[in-house]
Amino acid sequence: MKDFSNLSLNKLLPMMQPQTWDAQNTCARMGIKMPEIIIDPITRISGFLEIKVEVEHNTINSAQARGLLYRGFEPMLKGRQPLDAIYFTERICGICSAAHSYASALALDQALNLRLSQNDKYIREIIHGFEFIQNHLRHFYIMLMPDFVKITSPAIANSRQYINFRLPEEVNRLLEEHYAMSYQYAMLAHEGQAVLAGKAPHNHGIFTGGVTTDLTSYKIVKVKSIINKIQSFVDTAMREDVDILAYYYPDYFKMGMSYPNFMSYGVFDNAEADISYVNPGVLVNGILYDFRPEYISQQIKYSWFVNDTTDELNLQKEDAYTFIKAPRYNGLPMEVGPLARMLISGIYKGGHSCMDRIIARVLETSKILTIMSKLADLINPLPNGQREYLLPEVSEGEGFIDTTRGSLAHFIRIKNKLIDHYSIITPSNWNLSPMDSNGMAGVIEKALIGTSIKDTENPVEIGRIVRSFDPCVSCATHLITPKGNKKIIEVSV
Amino acid sequence: MEDQQNCPFTAAKSVSQRLAQEAVVKIMNQDIPKLNAIWLETTGCSGNIISFLNSDNPNAYEILTTIVNLTYSNSVMGEQGEAAFDKFLETLNTEFILLVDGAVSTNKDGAFCIVAYYHGRRITSYEAVKMAGEKAKYVVAVGTCASYGGISAASPNLSGSKSVGDVLERSVIRLPTCPCHPDWIVGTVAYLTTYGIPELDNEGRPLLFYATTIHDNCTRRGFFDKGYFAKTFGEEGCMFHLGCRGPVTRSECPRRKWNGYVNWPIGNNTNCIGCAQTFFPDGMEPFVRY
Repeated sequence: MKDFSNLSLNKLLPMMQPQTWDAQNTCARMGIKMPEIIIDPITRISGFLEIKVEVEHNTINSAQARGLLYRGFEPMLKGRQPLDAIYFTERICGICSAAHSYASALALDQALNLRLSQNDKYIREIIHGFEFIQNHLRHFYIMLMPDFVKITSPAIANSRQYINFRLPEEVNRLLEEHYAMSYQYAMLAHEGQAVLAGKAPHNHGIFTGGVTTDLTSYKIVKVKSIINKIQSFVDTAMREDVDILAYYYPDYFKMGMSYPNFMSYGVFDNAEADISYVNPGVLVNGILYDFRPEYISQQIKYSWFVNDTTDELNLQKEDAYTFIKAPRYNGLPMEVGPLARMLISGIYKGGHSCMDRIIARVLETSKILTIMSKLADLINPLPNGQREYLLPEVSEGEGFIDTTRGSLAHFIRIKNKLIDHYSIITPSNWNLSPMDSNGMAGVIEKALIGTSIKDTENPVEIGRIVRSFDPCVSCATHLITPKGNKKIIEVSV
Repeated sequence: MEDQQNCPFTAAKSVSQRLAQEAVVKIMNQDIPKLNAIWLETTGCSGNIISFLNSDNPNAYEILTTIVNLTYSNSVMGEQGEAAFDKFLETLNTEFILLVDGAVSTNKDGAFCIVAYYHGRRITSYEAVKMAGEKAKYVVAVGTCASYGGISAASPNLSGSKSVGDVLERSVIRLPTCPCHPDWIVGTVAYLTTYGIPELDNEGRPLLFYATTIHDNCTRRGFFDKGYFAKTFGEEGCMFHLGCRGPVTRSECPRRKWNGYVNWPIGNNTNCIGCAQTFFPDGMEPFVRY
């Protein structure tokens, strides 16, 4: 891997083709109003997202992704008990809650200076693995498929806006059947998680120091059986289904391209090849670099935050359009998620279009199931290793982990045995970020710019491209303030 | 509802399935109409819709195709943008159940949670809850945020989140727990469809599901009665001294269990954190203490 510092921002900027607001400004000066399209709600995602685009000659000229939910999670955590952070922060997100419990537990492990047993680490990974599977199944079938396949049952999945579904009737019927079947398999993934972690969403199994599960042979067999059932569905139905989508919608291999920048904090980054997936890394223009947390920064020029250090909001702030801040890695927007991981790990050799993103997610589902199956062979039926934890007066911890939608980081600072500061940078922060002060659009915004819209009355391309990222606004609207520091990202509110 | 089974334990556990079956039969025989329903996500984690999708026997697909005609849901509906909100507005003129998933944020006139952009105007979740809440045949608060404010209203509550009952001047059925168990959602919807409002306690919770505390039926109750207490997670004994909120928390978790009825928090060696209660989380902390 190469050191990223060789590559200065100035050298990279021209390559990134920053989106400028020039077109809009020019039009405004000339008194021309560009036709704009606002889609709100972007349904079939988690949370509340509004997309605004400006269209000229049927091509998207500029785009804004607007996260319209603010919950103020980090201020809530201040002053609470450090050990409560895990069960508290997992409630940020109902669809990827185990991911937050995982990152939060990693941060606490570090703050409390705890070492995990190999068995506990593997159990955590299986719990987290079930969250990936549940997410990917629900996203691919329930959330994404109605964009490409005519789903007539249940009636709510049908749409009057999509008038040109391309699948022949028989093929369409097959995928509709798989859509119906997916409900059962996604449910089963959460059942697998509950076997090891009590319940889902909002599990009780991942805790600081390891897991709370007493693993028995019966539980191992049950987990394996669930993994096998889901894997047979994924390998026989889901992988075929994505091939069908790719065959009938080949134009989506040329649409929805964002920056050639990808980042992962690593997940299932085990030493043994058969249980490893992706190590931390940053891929820019096809070159792989080490991941260095101190390169993360953020901007608020287009967010409703007054400044970087308080929770103060100003909804009248000029140019601002979202509750989401703009995190950047060495000044660059980064795409995170399944495609980023598949490219960084070298497993997927394709491009980075809308369809590539969908394919990567499906291939990843299968890959993770294979790893989970191997992990289930490695875990031993042992009682949990929980004990009494003594809280330090002062300490810090950070948890970096890649999860369903991409790179997730939790930071905790403990003072007087209480949470002094807690902050979170979620995957959707990266993908849904607004423009930065260099004029570089956020990742999803960039993916929309340049897209040609066939029918501006029914701009189906927008929803398809946005959903290929599996955005989650419940997660994205959080307050983050990392500052460069060698050991840890300093955070303050 | 006819009680077809004699054993009170199995009868209680299968109540949702039996209610769902009755609703299906009556709807198919055209004895009762299938009701419309709006699932409105507001300020929260959207975890209750995920929990609803975790329904088992019948699963969520079967429920959506047989028992209830869901017309609006941010997570599953095909339509988007104005066409999606059209569906919301169309439903208001019908007989429908409003299911709210999340608290209602009221600060800045609700601007912290926008559910739609319609005819040049942003619709806040506050406004949407009021619009639909006034017209709905039944209003169901699904999960702890909708029922009591929950995590969304945790101090300092910068979003000004309130429970659904706090912003509507009408009776609201509360289905707390974080998230709500799918059986309680399905059982309540089936009961509303078939019989109307079930018997509720003084906080609006159906007695069918919230009549007992966790402590009443806890699998570790014997330890409590004999005075054996666990000092860490995983130790044998009652977890009362670790901070278990089972004695004050009304929920049938110990009997029903979660996700295909395989496990529950105490079954996984951790104490109940009181997620079904009015003052969760602020009044339930610390979740864990040694």
